[in-house]
Amino acid sequence: MTQSRRETLQWMMAAAALPLARWSPPANAAAQRTPPPFDVIADWPATLPALPPTKGYGRDPDLMAPRVPWPLTLSKAQRATVDLLGDLVLPADAQSPGAGTLGVGAFVDEWISAPYPIQRKDREQVLGGLIWLDAQSRVLHGATFDSITPGQRAVLLDALTVATPAAGMAKPVAFMDTLRHLFVLGFYSLPEGKADMGYIGDEPTPGDYPGPSPEALTHLTAVLAGLGLAAS
Amino acid sequence: MTGAGFDPATTAADVIIVGSGAAGSMAAWSLTKAGLRCLMLEAGRDYDPQAEVNMMAPESDAPLRGASTPDKPFGYFDATVGGGWEVEGEPYTMREGTDFRWYRSRMLGGRTNHWGRHAPRWGPYDFKPFSRDGLGVDWPIGYDDVAPFYDRVERMIGVNGGRIELENHPDSPPGCLMPPPKPRIPEMLLKATCESMGIPVRTAHTAVITRDMPDKVAPRSACFNATPCGRGCTIGAMFQTTTSFLPMAKATGRLTIVTDAMVSKVLMASAGRAEGVEYVDRKTGARHKVKARAVIVAGGTCETTRLLLNSGDKPGGLANSSGQLGRNLTDSTGASFRAFVPALAGRPRYNEDGIGGQHVYIPFWLYQEQKRGELDFARGYHFEIGGRFGIPPAAALPRVWGADLKKAVRTASGATIGMTLRGEMIPNKDTWCEIDPGVKDRFGIPVLRFAFRWSQHELNQVAHGQRTAHAVFKRMNATILDPELPPEKLITAGGEIIHELGTARMGADARSSVVDSYGQTWDVGNLVLMDGAIFASGAHKNPTLTILALALRASERLAARFKSGALA
Repeated sequence: MTQSRRETLQWMMAAAALPLARWSPPANAAAQRTPPPFDVIADWPATLPALPPTKGYGRDPDLMAPRVPWPLTLSKAQRATVDLLGDLVLPADAQSPGAGTLGVGAFVDEWISAPYPIQRKDREQVLGGLIWLDAQSRVLHGATFDSITPGQRAVLLDALTVATPAAGMAKPVAFMDTLRHLFVLGFYSLPEGKADMGYIGDEPTPGDYPGPSPEALTHLTAVLAGLGLAAS
Repeated sequence: MTGAGFDPATTAADVIIVGSGAAGSMAAWSLTKAGLRCLMLEAGRDYDPQAEVNMMAPESDAPLRGASTPDKPFGYFDATVGGGWEVEGEPYTMREGTDFRWYRSRMLGGRTNHWGRHAPRWGPYDFKPFSRDGLGVDWPIGYDDVAPFYDRVERMIGVNGGRIELENHPDSPPGCLMPPPKPRIPEMLLKATCESMGIPVRTAHTAVITRDMPDKVAPRSACFNATPCGRGCTIGAMFQTTTSFLPMAKATGRLTIVTDAMVSKVLMASAGRAEGVEYVDRKTGARHKVKARAVIVAGGTCETTRLLLNSGDKPGGLANSSGQLGRNLTDSTGASFRAFVPALAGRPRYNEDGIGGQHVYIPFWLYQEQKRGELDFARGYHFEIGGRFGIPPAAALPRVWGADLKKAVRTASGATIGMTLRGEMIPNKDTWCEIDPGVKDRFGIPVLRFAFRWSQHELNQVAHGQRTAHAVFKRMNATILDPELPPEKLITAGGEIIHELGTARMGADARSSVVDSYGQTWDVGNLVLMDGAIFASGAHKNPTLTILALALRASERLAARFKSGALA
């Protein structure tokens, strides 16, 4: 094996999986932790609904007609909340629609309903996080996350997007980290997401590979000059 | 695609070939061309890339967007079917303290349907490692013996590449290589950076054709610069035996392929002569015996070794008077390094797909320093290079949400570079495979048990690689994305790079080796091994090109012995 698989997505995921799986981050000093902008933190749910018994697609699935064989498990309300979060974390702008509008909730549902180890672990975080998010919204505003104001949601999302969470916020922040990664994967693997990144490729180009465009070469020349490197 | 050849029930085969991967298929093509009838037994299922490879589908068509799972470790659309790190009902075990992974493709064409395609030649030092540093053993042959076969294999399978012009990295004679693709922007930046530091970057040798290879039976088209090669290639641009040697050998009418045929033992006519093999039909469980005048085993290094350990009437297995069978197991070392390069952020977009994998790489460059004793490890390593437009790794994205996250993804796409180390492992006394006395697979065949340990050489080697990669990243003012790790945490598990080699090594005499330089076992004259098991050392250079060259050399020797009547 080499890591020369062209598919960027696969490469990045494989590369991400290898060294980090062997590494545990050092405990952060308590003094550096970021407290949330609220005093009461809801409890992380003690129990979560188990994944119903189900099977993966097996070692020899039909590659010409791919399909997801496991049942999806998010409730309608949970799916709607994930789509709502998708449109907040990756919102519509001039270049592309919001991730929720594109249905990233369906992808997250497929992911956390899959019977594989990584997905099962992510399931704990996502399901736990969705329950916690509604509980915390109730603590603060007496309503579930989908019923509070955009400003109130933003405060919560800010609190869930810190590098070094305070003790009671560790699990909720890990939930948002996982969800954010899933949103990025789910959104940018779609044609709309690829277009947003300006991705060019995935189309046969017979003949010799043309190589970088003149604009790309001009940019590289400037990069090399900036780094004090000679072109070679 | 197995189809008609001769009927083994009525017509005796000259040669039985166990395995349809690189070595077995090379043997089938070479021997059928020489007029010999071959019966190929493949443990996996029949496989037709034309019908089964979904080349163009976007990852978003696949479950989990094609992400790696235990069922499909290299992604949903990956070519490997019916196999992987685990095979149902076919376990392997490990000695306490061992972490070893054994990748098996149970399919026609074996592991050539998904492989790295990085096809460097080995150099003179790689065949004489003991002479150079006193570790391991020398091969009974040198670079000059193999070079003519490299020349031919490069033309047969189709390899593109450029000149390397470095110590122990022999260049191919004119006419062997097809023109290589132009480098991409991150590769050009890496080259400029490395060369400012005295580290060479060269055009890689890759088994992807950049010119058409016309053939009446198995025409192959030049790469059209799209689609991931790991899925397999319906236009035949990437070398895999299912689109090349196998259809070509079948067209001679002298190759019969039986798939789902799990060979369980080599049958003996007398102590020094094989009679044939017994195999289990994986679908029915029925056992069959087939006979031939010679038996080639090319089931993949560890599967070949397992078959011999399970054969014969001695506790040590067949062809093991040296006691070396199962010993000297090696894999390549592996470690991955990534960085975010701010200077590449938001760079101009263009089609960066190219021929699939890397266009350039970093060959080992420190032979002189090593000779002078300036390195704390023996043997070499190389870096394979990655970095393309696409979804940035999570580590390259800031912890933000909203419009800022979308901006960050656009900025980071195409702005990360990866350097992946592959290095040589020296055989050590604590690393081997053997038969587990207590465990059998679902066919009743005793399974392999592995013992594996990296030595300090390999650990020091990946530590050196980490220092080098990080120095390169720093020179380009990049942000290193992975923490600095001690080598034990950095290095891959044994087997993870899928370069198992050495468990039936070749040598100059029957006392210290299992086979001669033609793969012929010292103990059984008509039993020939042809895969990575016969390697006497691993080198850091990917083994498939050398497996093919040695299999071609061994097949022609075997055909000559048939011709001279030695196997009558």
